[in-house]
Amino acid sequence: MLNLFLTSAEQGLVFGIMALGVYITFKVLDFPDLTVDGSFPLGAAVASIIIFNGGNPFLALVLSLMAGMIAGFITGFLNTRAKISGLLAGILTMTALYSINLRVMGQANVTLLNAKTMFTYLEEVLGIPRRWGFISAFVVAVVVVKILLDSFLKTQLGFALRATGNNPDMARSLGINTDAMKTLGLSMSNGLVALSGGLVAQYQGFADIGMGIGTVVAGLASVIIGEMIIGERSVGLATFAALLGSFIYRLSIGIALRLGFAATDLKLLTTILVIIALSTPRIKNLLRIASS
Amino acid sequence: MLKLKNVSKIFNKGTVNENVALSNINLEIYDGDFVSIIGSNGAGKSTLLNVIAGVFPLDEGSIELDDQDITRLPEYERASFIGRVFQDPLMGTAPSMTIEENLSLALCRNKKRGLKWGLNDKLRKEFRVKLAELGLGLENRMNTKVKLLSGGQRQAITLLIATMVKPKLLLLDEHTAALDPSTVRLINDLTEEIVLQKGITTLMITHNMEYAIKMGNRLIMMDGGKVVLDIRGADKALLTVDELVDMFECAARKKFDDDRIMLGLTS
Ligand SMILES: Nc1ncnc2c1ncn2[C@@H]1O[C@H](COP(=O)(O)OP(=O)(O)OP(=O)(O)O)[C@@H](O)[C@H]1O
Ligand SMILES: [Mg+2]
Repeated sequence: MLNLFLTSAEQGLVFGIMALGVYITFKVLDFPDLTVDGSFPLGAAVASIIIFNGGNPFLALVLSLMAGMIAGFITGFLNTRAKISGLLAGILTMTALYSINLRVMGQANVTLLNAKTMFTYLEEVLGIPRRWGFISAFVVAVVVVKILLDSFLKTQLGFALRATGNNPDMARSLGINTDAMKTLGLSMSNGLVALSGGLVAQYQGFADIGMGIGTVVAGLASVIIGEMIIGERSVGLATFAALLGSFIYRLSIGIALRLGFAATDLKLLTTILVIIALSTPRIKNLLRIASS
Repeated sequence: MLKLKNVSKIFNKGTVNENVALSNINLEIYDGDFVSIIGSNGAGKSTLLNVIAGVFPLDEGSIELDDQDITRLPEYERASFIGRVFQDPLMGTAPSMTIEENLSLALCRNKKRGLKWGLNDKLRKEFRVKLAELGLGLENRMNTKVKLLSGGQRQAITLLIATMVKPKLLLLDEHTAALDPSTVRLINDLTEEIVLQKGITTLMITHNMEYAIKMGNRLIMMDGGKVVLDIRGADKALLTVDELVDMFECAARKKFDDDRIMLGLTS
C-alpha cells in the first residue's frame, strides 16, 4: 500500500511536469496541442542517447528541454505563419517527430541499465538511496518548475500570454502580438513536456519510440481531475491542481493495475475517464434541468 | 487629425453578394472632436470604424492620421493608438483574468512587455483610484475575475482599458446597446467624463437620438455607405430629436424609393 502510494507520488510528480506543459497550452492558451505526443518521447530520446554515451545526465535534461521548445516553436510557426489549424499543426509536428526520435535514438529503444543517470549521481555523490533519490529529485524539479511558471504567469509577458488565450481580440487591441505569444506558449509547454520525458527515461531506465502515445490524454486527464477538485481560482492553485490531478491519475492507474487490468487496457480506461470528466458539466446541467 | 479620402469598401466584390458598405467617403475629423454617428441598420457605421481601425483593407481611398498615411498599417499596429469599445461587453476584457490584471494589460499598451511583475502595490493603488472614479464600487473587487461582473460593470472597465493610456482615437460601436436604461446613462456619463477630461478624439456610434444630440460636438448621419449629414457646434446644439428623426426617416424613405426605382416598382 505504501509502495503504491510512493510509486504514484513519484510518477505523479515526474509526469506532473508534463501535465503543467499541457496546462499551458490547453488551459492558458486554449490551444489543443497534440505536439506533446511527439515532444515527450523527444525529450526521452535526447536525454537517453546522451546518457547512454556517457554524457552528463543534467546537461542531458537541459538539452531535452531545448529540443522540446524547438518542437513547440515549429508547431507555433506552422499555426501562426503557415496558417495551419492548431490541431493539424500539432499532428504534423508530432508525426515528423516520430522519425526524428528514431533518428536521435538510432533504434526503437535505448536502455540505460548500465549508464550513469542522474540517480546514479545522486546515489554515488550525495549518498541518496535510489528510492529516495527519485522522489526527492522529482520534488525539487517540480517545485522549481512550478515556482518559475507561476512567477512567469504573473509578469507582464505572462499576462499577455494569458490574455492571448482568454480573449485574443482584446489582446490584439492592446498591442499584444498574439502570434508571438502563441509560439512562446507552445515552446514553453513542449519544453516542459520534453523535460518530463527526459526525467521519465532516467526514472524507468529506458526510452522507447512508442512511449509518447497517449501523453496528451494523460496530461489532459491530470489537468481536468485537478480542476474538478481544486478549481482555478488563481494561477498558483491552477498549477497545483494539475500536479495533484497528475498524482491522482497515477494512483488510479496503479489501483487499476492491482485490480488486474492489463497495462495495455489503461489507455482505453484513461480515455473513458477523460470523456466522463469532460462531459460532467453537461451531466450536471442535465441533472439540474431534470430536477427543476 | 484623421482624414478619410475617397474611402470605399465593397464586400464580396465581383460576386452576386457584392455589397458596397462604404462608398466614396470623404471625412475629416479634427483634434478633440467628439462625433456621434447615427444611421439605420446596415448604413455602414461599423464598417467605417472597422476600416479606421484596420480590420480589413480598403478597396479605394486612403486614411491619414496626424498627417501619417496609415492606410496600409496592420490592425495590431494601429491598436497602439486606437482604443475601441464594442457593443458586446464580452469583447473588451479578458474574462478569466481579474479586474486588476485586465487594467495591467491596458497599461502596457505601447510598451514592450517583459519579465517585470504585471502588478505591484504602486499599480494597485493607481488602479484603485481609477476604479473609484467609476463610482461602481469596483475598487473593492480588484481581485474578482471579470467574468463574474455584470455587462455594465464590464463595459465601464472596457472603457477604462481603452482609455487608460490616452489613445489618439477612441472608437465606440454602440457600446451601450446591450445595457439597461439606467446603466446606459451611467456608461454614457462615464464616456463623456473620460473623453472630455482627457480630450480624446472620439467617434461614437449610437442608435439613441437623444444621446447622439446631447453628447459630443459633432453629429454624422450615415446612409447607404455615405455620410448624408454632418452637423457641428451650435447647429448641433440646436438640433431636436424630432428634427433628427425626420431627417433619419427622410434618408430611409429616400433609400426605400431608390430601392423601388431599382426594382422597377414605380411606374
Ligand atoms: N465582414 C463582412 N462581410 C460581408 N459584408 C459585411 C461585413 N461587414 C459588414 N457587411 C455589410 O456591410 C453593410 C454595412 O454594415 P455595417 O455593419 O457597417 O452596418 P451598421 O451601420 O453598423 O449597421 P448596424 O446599425 O446594424 O450595426 C451591411 O450591408 C453588411 O451586411
Ligand atoms: Mg454596426
